[in-house]
Amino acid sequence: MATSPEAYVDTSAFIAFTDGSDTHHALFARLFAAPPRLVTTSLVVAEGHGWFLRRFDRTRALGFLAMVEMLAPLVILAVTAKEIAAATRLMRRFSDQDLTLADAVGLHLMSVRKTRSCWSTDRHLRLTGIPLVIDQT
Amino acid sequence: MIRTQVSLREEEYAAAKEEAARLGISLAELLRRSLRRVLPAAGRPPWMRYAGMVESGDPRSSQRIDEIVYGNKS
Repeated sequence: MATSPEAYVDTSAFIAFTDGSDTHHALFARLFAAPPRLVTTSLVVAEGHGWFLRRFDRTRALGFLAMVEMLAPLVILAVTAKEIAAATRLMRRFSDQDLTLADAVGLHLMSVRKTRSCWSTDRHLRLTGIPLVIDQT
Repeated sequence: MIRTQVSLREEEYAAAKEEAARLGISLAELLRRSLRRVLPAAGRPPWMRYAGMVESGDPRSSQRIDEIVYGNKS
């Protein structure tokens, strides 16, 4: 089965990249310096923006959105009722886990798109067997 | 080095002087460092200026996003 050379970017990858205090900052700074085609979802962008709003302030939250705008290799996938329905099925399958909708939509899209590279530090993104980039480097 | 002039509001000037004193550097050096953080280095993609744009002080920051965004369970 053909796999996609693209990488899925989870909220945690954006935070590890932008937060110099994070243990995985150096890894994600290196990855984002020369990225392949990247995909994420509008839910991930909303989570990232929310993190900056809650943890810091509006200025930095806008800075985060400016970074997303600037990140040319990144495609933001729309999340429609179809993706939410598929994510809900996944959340029922993994009902023993505190999966967020953003996590579940990400897992669904990686499966549909045959994405084998997951930029994340969140163990929930391992649930369907796709390794995280932090485990591979 | 090129000499230039910048206009700052009084409170910006005072805050910048205070920060420079805290770091033990001149106001000019503080401004040079600030510019280096904002401007992309030659050959680097423009989004790399956001690498390390914040310092939360938490080494597990990226693994605690749900606590911040969705809050802790009560």
